[in-house]
Amino acid sequence: MNKLAEWQLTLPLALAFAAIFLAPLLMLVGVSFFSDDKITQPGFAQWVKFYGDPFSYKVIADTMLLGVKTVCATILVGYPLALVYLDAPPRLQKVLIFVIVMPLLLSVVVRTFAWIVVLGREGVVNQLLLSLGIISEPLRLLQTELGLVISLTQIEMPLMLLPLISVMSRLDPNLRDASAALGASRWRTLFTVIVPLSMPGLVAGCLLVFASSTTAFISQTVIGGVRLIYLPLLIWQQSLVVFNWPFAAVVSIALLISVLTVVSALSWLGRRSGGYVHG
Amino acid sequence: MFNRRSLLAGATALGGTSLLPSLAHAKGIVTAATYPGSWEDAYRSVVAPALKKAYDVDLELQPLFAVDQIAKVRAARGAPPFDAFVLDPGPRITGIEGGLFEKFDGRKISNAPNLPAGMIDEWGICVGAQVVGIGYNPKKLPKPTGWKDLLSDPWVSRLGITGFQTTFGTVSLIEIAKAFGGSETNVEPALVELKKVLPKIAAVGNPAAMPGLLQQGQCDITYTNIQTVAILKSRGVDIEFVKPASGAVAFFTTMHIAKGAAEADNAYKYFDTVVSKAVGDALVQPPHNFIPVNKQVVLPPSLPMTNLDEMSTYIQHDWSKINPLRAGWIEKFNKEMAK
Amino acid sequence: MGRRHSLGDLSYGLVIGTLAALALLIIVAPVVIVLSTSFTEGRSLKFPPTGFSLQWYEALFDPSKSRQIHRAVLNSLEVAAWSTAFGVLFGSLAALGLARSRNRLARVADGFFMSPLVLPGLTFGLAALMYFTLIGFRPSLNLIIAGHMIVTVPFILRTTAASLSQLDPALNDSSQSLGASWLYTLRRVTLPLIAPGIFAGAFLAFMASIDNVPVSLFLSTARTDMLPIRMWGMMESTLDPRIAAVSGVLITAAFLLMLVMEWTVGLTRRMRE
Repeated sequence: MNKLAEWQLTLPLALAFAAIFLAPLLMLVGVSFFSDDKITQPGFAQWVKFYGDPFSYKVIADTMLLGVKTVCATILVGYPLALVYLDAPPRLQKVLIFVIVMPLLLSVVVRTFAWIVVLGREGVVNQLLLSLGIISEPLRLLQTELGLVISLTQIEMPLMLLPLISVMSRLDPNLRDASAALGASRWRTLFTVIVPLSMPGLVAGCLLVFASSTTAFISQTVIGGVRLIYLPLLIWQQSLVVFNWPFAAVVSIALLISVLTVVSALSWLGRRSGGYVHG
Repeated sequence: MFNRRSLLAGATALGGTSLLPSLAHAKGIVTAATYPGSWEDAYRSVVAPALKKAYDVDLELQPLFAVDQIAKVRAARGAPPFDAFVLDPGPRITGIEGGLFEKFDGRKISNAPNLPAGMIDEWGICVGAQVVGIGYNPKKLPKPTGWKDLLSDPWVSRLGITGFQTTFGTVSLIEIAKAFGGSETNVEPALVELKKVLPKIAAVGNPAAMPGLLQQGQCDITYTNIQTVAILKSRGVDIEFVKPASGAVAFFTTMHIAKGAAEADNAYKYFDTVVSKAVGDALVQPPHNFIPVNKQVVLPPSLPMTNLDEMSTYIQHDWSKINPLRAGWIEKFNKEMAK
Repeated sequence: MGRRHSLGDLSYGLVIGTLAALALLIIVAPVVIVLSTSFTEGRSLKFPPTGFSLQWYEALFDPSKSRQIHRAVLNSLEVAAWSTAFGVLFGSLAALGLARSRNRLARVADGFFMSPLVLPGLTFGLAALMYFTLIGFRPSLNLIIAGHMIVTVPFILRTTAASLSQLDPALNDSSQSLGASWLYTLRRVTLPLIAPGIFAGAFLAFMASIDNVPVSLFLSTARTDMLPIRMWGMMESTLDPRIAAVSGVLITAAFLLMLVMEWTVGLTRRMRE
């Protein structure tokens, strides 16, 4: 089969996307160029309103930062877990996979309740620290960015680990043994052999985690509270509370473009590292 | 392991169940939006059988919050996904201004003589009242007396607040503003005072999270609907309702016919059933705890009023003035409360 | 191995072990909390729960008390199964198509296919509803399936692409140069190697569909009630412990499914040998 034919494999998805995704998206872009919430007066007023307000930039920056922090936290604890998985015997691996996908089996509705229980003023963490005498006043964890990042880490973990593990488990175990036999320390093997070879999975995981944490409206508002303001909250308020759809469209486009920019940068890095691995 | 055969076999097996439409066989049908949770439970268990019995009309309920109903009908221009709305005053005004309702013909409501004056207008019918005040945990806090107490110790450090996105949040913030010299159209004083005590406030929450936050002790006092308090209390949550000294706020929940509704006639039958005495008698009881509008319904002692005429002594707001300002208030709230 | 453990290797074990343990703690803690509250004797979701009883599971399985939940579960499962099936078909084909292209168009297409993940669900839900009514469709289960397919296919595409990118292109070429047809190569060489990626993506997509609120909210009708929307209502107004029991059932079901798969896969492996 020649190259042209291989490329044609994307056609079914491309057609489905054109019909079900691109068309509504273009409508959204169209709606953003109306000045009034009744969608009758064409104009740029909503764009001017959003981009003319310094508060908007703060919210965009906070949203992207939240994504970055969540990605970092997820890598920090998730990658070691993937390494443990890699070294585990097959039976334990099955148990670990089950544990790793567990967050997905909790609906977002109860998951937020669970985090209120863990992070709350009278919550599990505070009770524990108080009874150990480490703190004398309950810490404020719920409705802080720290608490939000911790809770997002839980739900994003499967998104990071499943691609990572599906890539890592195909790595040739001989590579690590060879590295060890050559006298490399385990740290050195990790950073010179395992991490570069697992790059495609890591990048895929980062993409999914970043995109999903920046748009996680329910976690952001319930666990983060309304003191922390991210773009999805603005979109929700504008489209469902005040029904200013043109403005909601402008904010959505801002979110879409900011996240896609970060995602393409990550993608590009992934491609380069992929080239490095095969090169 | 993924070959075409197994995929196709799976697809056909699944497809068999889904693509056959399942139509109801009653004389008529009406599709009504209802609030998720307690409203839906009550309407399914009380109103649906009553409607079936009286008119042989099947009630299909679609659980949607008021704002979601408006959004859906707006997006589906002219082809509404349901026949009847149930709305709070704010979204009601939005609906009227957006031309989302059919004109309402009060003569089609046989129970109209049993309703207090003004319950039916050209756009719809009031089906219930809601009272807003303060809910607090009596095991942890002394009883507050008014809105100002919320912003002072010991209450403020246990306070949970919500913004202008809900009806009860909006009216409560207006009342707090009034306590500090503001008015129905000027909520600035409330935001100024809240900002002063912001570091002490226990939670600035999403309204959907408030029951959980109260239950787990993250906050122990908030402004809320009396019905929410009654339901949580009946579920064993430590919470009591307090009518503020300056008066509790009341607002009416209204029903409307969606523009272009397929089953407008059955919608009238549905409304008539909702405001009937029999349905009111059932809805006023626990676990539903509704405040019905039919004057023949005897109100239980748990409600802060003995008859519906007292509703006129409650504070009510003019939502046609509030609605145009609300978008600005929401943005202001975001900026003032943001860190 | 005869080599003595160096300080570096010790610190490696310690650091990696601690962080992995932390990861497990973060993953498991909320699950334990939800499961323990599902066995409460009390009438609302509360932690720590009071007493132990199975009443909320009984209520959940009782058709007269929980008929609406059952209906919603069936709808959600049906939508998730269909949207994942289409997603796997279209998504893995697209991943195969894009895997070896390095031109700019392929990169743009890749970004485009990822964007539903990035567009807030609420926005897509509203826009999709506007669009579908414009072209004359009324909300239905089929539209929800289409909508869910769009928002969940990026998971499949991404994980499959990650698996493909580490596939040695030489493998394909050698298979084909040996005279194997493209389809044969796909079935015997490529698919077995990328199957873990496809499975990972399909699972993510399936669960994302089960838990999707915004798209369902706008594309559902009175007859197509979906599980997460029903659970919102139960949480917000009544703190109904059945929502914890739903999670208990889901986790048990996943556990059983895993046992069954383990058993059947183990069996086929043994038969092959």
